[in-house]
Amino acid sequence: MSFLDRITEGWRKNRKPGYYEDFDYHWAMTIDLDQCSGCGACVTACQAENNLPIVGEDAFTKGREIKWLRIEHYWEGEYPDVKLNVIPMMCQHCDSAPCETVCPVSATYHNQDGLNTQIYNRCIGTRSCAVYCPYEVRYFNYNDHTWESPLDQQLNPDVSVREKGVMEKCTFCIQRIRQAKDNAKDDGRRRVRDGEVQPACVQTCPSKAMVFGDRNDPQSQVSQSLNDPRSYKVLDELNTNSSVVYLKKVEAEG
Amino acid sequence: MPNIDRRDFIKLVGAGGVGVGAGVVLRESIKHPKEHLIPHVLAPEDYSSGVATWYNSVCSMCSAGCGISVRTREGRAKKIEGNPSHAVNQGGLCAVGQAGLQVLYNPDRLTGPLLQSANRGSDGFTQITWEDGLTRVASRLDVLRAAGRGNRIALLTRGVGGHLAELLESFAEGVGTDQLHHYDYDHPHALYAANERFFGKQHLPYYDLSNTRHLLSFGADYLAGWLSPVHHSLGFANSRHGGDNRGYFVQIEPRMSPSGAAADEWVPAKPGTEGILALGLAHHIVASGHYEGEDINEWKDVLSAYTLEKVAEETDVSESVLRRLAESFANASPSLAIGGDGAGNNSNGVDTLVAINALNYLAGNVGEVGGVIFNPDPAGATSHSRQANYQTLAQLAESARAGEIDVLILNDVNPVFTMPLASEFKAALAQIPFIVSLSSFIDETSALADVILPSHTYLESWGDAFPEQGVGFSIGAVSQPVIAPLYNTKATGDIVLDLARRIGKPMRWDSTEDCIKDGWNKIYQESDSNTRTESFESFWTALLKAGVWGKKNHLKTDTSRPNANTIASIGVDAPTFSGDAELYPFVLQPYRSGMHDGRAANLPWIQELPDAMTSVVYGSWVEINPKTAKDLGLTEGDLVDIESVEGAVRAPILVYPAIRPDVIAMPIGQGHTNYGRYASNRGANPLEILSPLVDDNSGNVASNATRVKIVATGKHVEIVKTGGKSRDLGRDIVQTTGGDDHTAQTNSIPITVIPT
Repeated sequence: MSFLDRITEGWRKNRKPGYYEDFDYHWAMTIDLDQCSGCGACVTACQAENNLPIVGEDAFTKGREIKWLRIEHYWEGEYPDVKLNVIPMMCQHCDSAPCETVCPVSATYHNQDGLNTQIYNRCIGTRSCAVYCPYEVRYFNYNDHTWESPLDQQLNPDVSVREKGVMEKCTFCIQRIRQAKDNAKDDGRRRVRDGEVQPACVQTCPSKAMVFGDRNDPQSQVSQSLNDPRSYKVLDELNTNSSVVYLKKVEAEG
Repeated sequence: MPNIDRRDFIKLVGAGGVGVGAGVVLRESIKHPKEHLIPHVLAPEDYSSGVATWYNSVCSMCSAGCGISVRTREGRAKKIEGNPSHAVNQGGLCAVGQAGLQVLYNPDRLTGPLLQSANRGSDGFTQITWEDGLTRVASRLDVLRAAGRGNRIALLTRGVGGHLAELLESFAEGVGTDQLHHYDYDHPHALYAANERFFGKQHLPYYDLSNTRHLLSFGADYLAGWLSPVHHSLGFANSRHGGDNRGYFVQIEPRMSPSGAAADEWVPAKPGTEGILALGLAHHIVASGHYEGEDINEWKDVLSAYTLEKVAEETDVSESVLRRLAESFANASPSLAIGGDGAGNNSNGVDTLVAINALNYLAGNVGEVGGVIFNPDPAGATSHSRQANYQTLAQLAESARAGEIDVLILNDVNPVFTMPLASEFKAALAQIPFIVSLSSFIDETSALADVILPSHTYLESWGDAFPEQGVGFSIGAVSQPVIAPLYNTKATGDIVLDLARRIGKPMRWDSTEDCIKDGWNKIYQESDSNTRTESFESFWTALLKAGVWGKKNHLKTDTSRPNANTIASIGVDAPTFSGDAELYPFVLQPYRSGMHDGRAANLPWIQELPDAMTSVVYGSWVEINPKTAKDLGLTEGDLVDIESVEGAVRAPILVYPAIRPDVIAMPIGQGHTNYGRYASNRGANPLEILSPLVDDNSGNVASNATRVKIVATGKHVEIVKTGGKSRDLGRDIVQTTGGDDHTAQTNSIPITVIPT
């Protein structure tokens, strides 16, 4: 095999979208439902970090809001023995993601870090991915959104503003991951340190219920949290192989 | 090829030339204007393109005093995060804190001084210069001061702590008035009064949720609004770290709050009976031999009336539940009882909170890790000594009506919105000849001003904070500007300093920064000279860089006992409510949702943040029990009038599974009439219809003591909310585990607060 062939083969093997066999990093998140109070700080932090639009009341009535991260509420029982269970729900970054297989233009794919990513300028807005997503965490831009001046001065320059006709969703704050990798490289380190990357939601969580990190590193906090006997995946029976793992809420007796 | 003679050729060339010329002109005219990227020859300090600069400061959205780190790029603030080094929030921040950027960048912000040139309360504001505005105000003040009538000047500010509070004090002294009031709707007057009566301490103690094993929360929504929610969230999570010592949390309140949802047990006691319940538990603890102090006989005497049987009847909580709660509270070590707005804002509020203190005392939680820990005296001023309760504001209104106030200076405070209509506060303001507001926004109160001298937002100005609830030791932080002022505004302190100079009473500082620095210099001078940095300048730089200052001066365990008189004063009367129970069958509980006291309603992120319990956005609603709804034939979205003796507000019904059938609840925050494009004319304000029923012990309005009736209007609206099914329907999305398999791994949070 010629030198050129070997390079070509190596490149094909490693750069085929959606079929990475080994991830450089394998980003994952755990959320402890025993500690989460559903306060919504993560929701606003996400909106601030990722340039999520202010959609207005009308959009909400049509179900066209855009919240990459939301708190779901499930009531259980009747008064007075009633309970509210809350769960933060965002893109689960499935390793066997139903949304990826259905995109006709491969606008959504799996990257070398195990992230489910969305290429905005490739998306043609078929919305098939949103239909296939069992977690309903993909949001479509039905309109072009504007920020009333000077609210636009807050926009994060590291995150692109999406336009009409494009699907969007949680990225695990990929811009922060990039920044951390750059910093590691500048410092002459090969790897990002555990805890160096915190998505906006994890960073702000008042009860520190969320943990984010590299699952490939067995020493990382998230790897240890994944081993918790309380861990489970939402809708695991669909074999989506999600990267967001929840820790069960504890029901204690008084 | 056609024949072209010389003439035609010249014509064609001419026409082509004109065409090209027209094209060029046309193209130039439709082109976007040129944008130039010009590098700074000398870049501003801390400014390099493409690189973020972080500044540590203090969040001023509520009085908890969380530390923040603000990320700026190219001179613009981009993101607020919690400061990980700050002991109060340790990196966390709530949704309202995150949305602080929208105070700064709000499109409704005032951009320069305004003069009301038409009728007061109208839109007839015209732009004036600072010189003009300051002269107008100073001349009014000067006339009164010079005539020795300074007391006809009143200052009303939002709760301001730290050295800025001293600056305001000094100004009030200079103009010769003692009418300086800080006002926050949510200031816990009842809690201060109860702690003073029982513990003899003016300051709030530290409630150590982090280390407690059993928490009884009486109407304290500690995770979403009470005192210091981010710090409580840390403590809550730390206590719930799995394992054998997992804390057990009980929430006693008639309407389930987010803290109630997070708790292990929710006990819907009758509204206003929280104190009776606490004394019932205390009675059981004393009677069953869990308490063995020397003063046991005095306790037995005072608690004798609160047998479990009687308490069960009054609180509508079964005797067996009460017994179980009392036993587990007494047996758990350490345990902790807290009382919040739900318990304190009743006609018997202070007595109730004293009863809760007594419960802590009897269970041995006072001065203990995981219990009630006393803070050392704060290193700087807090707003409490000047906080105006309902009675104070009512008196201010009374003086205004009597023509005893000539000038009112408002600083970022909106009592017209939070005071009940029955107080006629707005009408009283109309009697004041001259009102000046230092607010950054037009709101219901500053709309009544004659002159508005707009102040900077907290992200543009200097300040400092000494958190009132604290963390068990002395802590403070400096708030520094993170961005150059966006508009033609001035810092509150600078406006006040300028006015003082103009009336010939200059203060000893040149600027707010000077005042803050001077205050910290004192703290520096008082610190241990062996451990401190060489000079004040290096201390100041380090302080700004770290964003927080603390002193590990934990108090020794407090062994003081309540004296016999205090014990004898314990007792909780049945709550009283305004309105006849027959005509007005429901008790209204206005509660604070995500909008604080309404000041966050003009932030679009907060308007679009689904409510923590109901997922509602952009509006108000009335929560009622499913059975009540069925009895009244009401379903979600039915528009109803909620009528009290004092008036009515209109909002749609929301059937809420976790509220007592005899209680209805409404969120506070919406119902603004004049507060910018995002908040105005949206929803209803339940505070309007409250009866001015005052708990004499705290002087504050008993906001949970108004009875109302529901009058259907026959109209229907759609409640705007997110989320789909409110039931799980067997999908097992939120999974739970009981028993013993929840041990092992934890995300244990290191909370640094351990008294020595």
